[in-house]
Amino acid sequence: MKNIKLLKLYKNSEIFKIALGIAIAVVCYIASVFYTQMRSLDSSVNLIANATETQLELEKVLSIISIYETNLRTYIITKDESYLENRFLRKGEIESNLKEIDKLVANNPTRVKDVKRLKGLIEYRFALFRETLLLAKSKNPNSAALNAKLQESNDFTEIMKNFVYKTINAEGDKVKIHNDNHQFELEDSMISAFLLVILSLLILLLSFNKMNVDIAELKKTNDELKFLNRSFNNAEKIAGFGHWKINLEKDTYTYSDNFFRLIGLEPQSFTPSLENISKYIHPDDLEYVTRMHMDSLRTHKPTSLMYRFVLPDGEIKYIMSVGSFTKNGKGESVKTGVNYDMTDQFKKTIELEENNKELKSINEELESFNNIVSHDLQEPLHKIQMFISRIESKEMDGISEQGKIYFSKIRTSANKMQTLLIDLVNYSRTIKGDKVFEDTDLNGLVNQVIDELSSNIEDKNAEITVGDLPVVKAISFQIEQLFINLITNSLKYSQEDRAPKISIFSKNIEENEIYDNEIISNEKYYKIVVEDNGIGFKQEYAEKIFVLFQRLETGSKYSGTGLGLAICKRIVDNHDGFIKVLSEPNVGSQFCVFLPKKA
Amino acid sequence: MISHEDSMRILIADDDEDDRTFFSDAMMELKMNNNLTLFNDGKELMDYLANPDIMLPHLLFLDLNMPRKSGFECLKEIRADLRFKDVSIAIYSTSSSEKDIEETFIEGANIYIKKPNDFNKLKKVIKEVLNVNWQFHSSGLNKETFFFSI
Repeated sequence: MKNIKLLKLYKNSEIFKIALGIAIAVVCYIASVFYTQMRSLDSSVNLIANATETQLELEKVLSIISIYETNLRTYIITKDESYLENRFLRKGEIESNLKEIDKLVANNPTRVKDVKRLKGLIEYRFALFRETLLLAKSKNPNSAALNAKLQESNDFTEIMKNFVYKTINAEGDKVKIHNDNHQFELEDSMISAFLLVILSLLILLLSFNKMNVDIAELKKTNDELKFLNRSFNNAEKIAGFGHWKINLEKDTYTYSDNFFRLIGLEPQSFTPSLENISKYIHPDDLEYVTRMHMDSLRTHKPTSLMYRFVLPDGEIKYIMSVGSFTKNGKGESVKTGVNYDMTDQFKKTIELEENNKELKSINEELESFNNIVSHDLQEPLHKIQMFISRIESKEMDGISEQGKIYFSKIRTSANKMQTLLIDLVNYSRTIKGDKVFEDTDLNGLVNQVIDELSSNIEDKNAEITVGDLPVVKAISFQIEQLFINLITNSLKYSQEDRAPKISIFSKNIEENEIYDNEIISNEKYYKIVVEDNGIGFKQEYAEKIFVLFQRLETGSKYSGTGLGLAICKRIVDNHDGFIKVLSEPNVGSQFCVFLPKKA
Repeated sequence: MISHEDSMRILIADDDEDDRTFFSDAMMELKMNNNLTLFNDGKELMDYLANPDIMLPHLLFLDLNMPRKSGFECLKEIRADLRFKDVSIAIYSTSSSEKDIEETFIEGANIYIKKPNDFNKLKKVIKEVLNVNWQFHSSGLNKETFFFSI
């Protein structure tokens, strides 16, 4: 973890810059220290040289004085004038020496005082020299006085020597101290130099490394970008869209390669510009497109336009062009967008619309046909039934037995036709009509249905029990029809020797069932059951039974139109629900209606 | 106020001759003390009603599909005239379409009768409808009882 943190820090250029700055500061500091050390080394060397030279000069002075002494003594002894050549009257050499010494000790006040004293001493010595010389040169040499003078001169020279040696020693000490210092300073400066070199190397290495790391990353990013770019271009090609970019500040247009391909041209076959692209826009759409585009340039509002391009070969393409405004990396306003070939979709939409129109008109025809069937057929049927009932109530006496049978058969057929017509009307009502879903209290509805069918129920001596039913969002009249059909069926298809027992109740869905790729679970559906003890049927017909006009063989005892359950299924479909049946011959049937809990 | 003791004045407008015959035959067989007037179509009916001197009918049986003036139009016109506010209107039609039932309910009919297919049933229906105490019948407000069923 620490390593990763450090690595991250290392890679972080901000941190690196700070670290580099600190390193450079440290190097500069060490460099300045080194420089100072160098300077001080330099000055200590100078000091040592100075002191050494001073010593030397002082020694020289002494030796000159000694030489003079020796020469004087030699003269006194030999009386040879050559030893006296202008040596005492002028100080000559000593002067230049003393000048040198002055220069050398100029910075040292103590030394200056010493030199001054020395000069005084030298003066006196020279005076002594002159006196001695005078005494030596006189006609009456006084050897006692001369000896005394010589002795004085000796003693004085001793004093001078001592003084000078003291000075020389002092300088010598100075040299020693400076030497020692010099050693330390040399060691220090070596360390500094070493540190300097190491640090500089380190900085260099780190910078170099970082540079490499950064370059590697850049390269990686670059490669990724290149790859992305290529994929994007490919994707454009495959998906059939092209993109464009307008730099609003520079008024430059850029079109992608596929942009050109979309309109049947070679990539970049003309210089992207509004003028050039307008040549390919369908003349009927050009004004609209240009206007919308120009407006957007003012308001910076995104545009979404569909218009036609006319390709060089005359083909017309429907293009969807979407564009929005943003700023590029340099902060300039740009409009970027995508053109998408909609021709296929457009054509399909047109086809769909035409199909729809056709379907609508077919529907309308069917509806009017339906109207005719249900209403206009009812009229003559109603008449037939009425007249038959008139005959049967009034004229039966004048008709033969055979005739009576015939009339009864006519009546039966007419009734059947009536039922069929009613069922057809009901069926058509489940198809068309405003589907208004409202909260429907099923208990109330079922009770109403039972009321309506009360005479039928009484006739059959049927017993109907209704449990607690939920309130569902449904089309009331259709659900009503559903229950009418189911209960009527239960009443109709009852066993001869048994009074029908019908129970209507709601049940929790225990085991989830799968129907039409939808899981029917308790959370999503209500389960409402209409159960009877009627004649039942074989379970293998459980699906066939809901098919329009399908009837099972029940013989002439049970008349039916084959519409009732088809209507039920239709109604349940309208509510996005399901209907299933479980049945066993001579036991009964259980119809399960699943209605969604949410609308 | 039309009182129940008077013999009821009943009107029926139906363009079908046979249906008119059925109706009048049924009424005759019922032997109820009633005064029945028959009209061939909507225009005849409205012309009759326009006359200010007539005695207002108690009950009007109105067919819907009639030429010249349909039952709907008659219903609207009658209900628009406050003179006939106490006249009970029974729609009498072969159709039982939701649309017709709803529209006549909205336009202010009192009851909707689907023409029965059996003569005896017809007699039953007429007898019951005539016996309804129209003052207290709340059919104009209650959609459930609007559609007459035996």
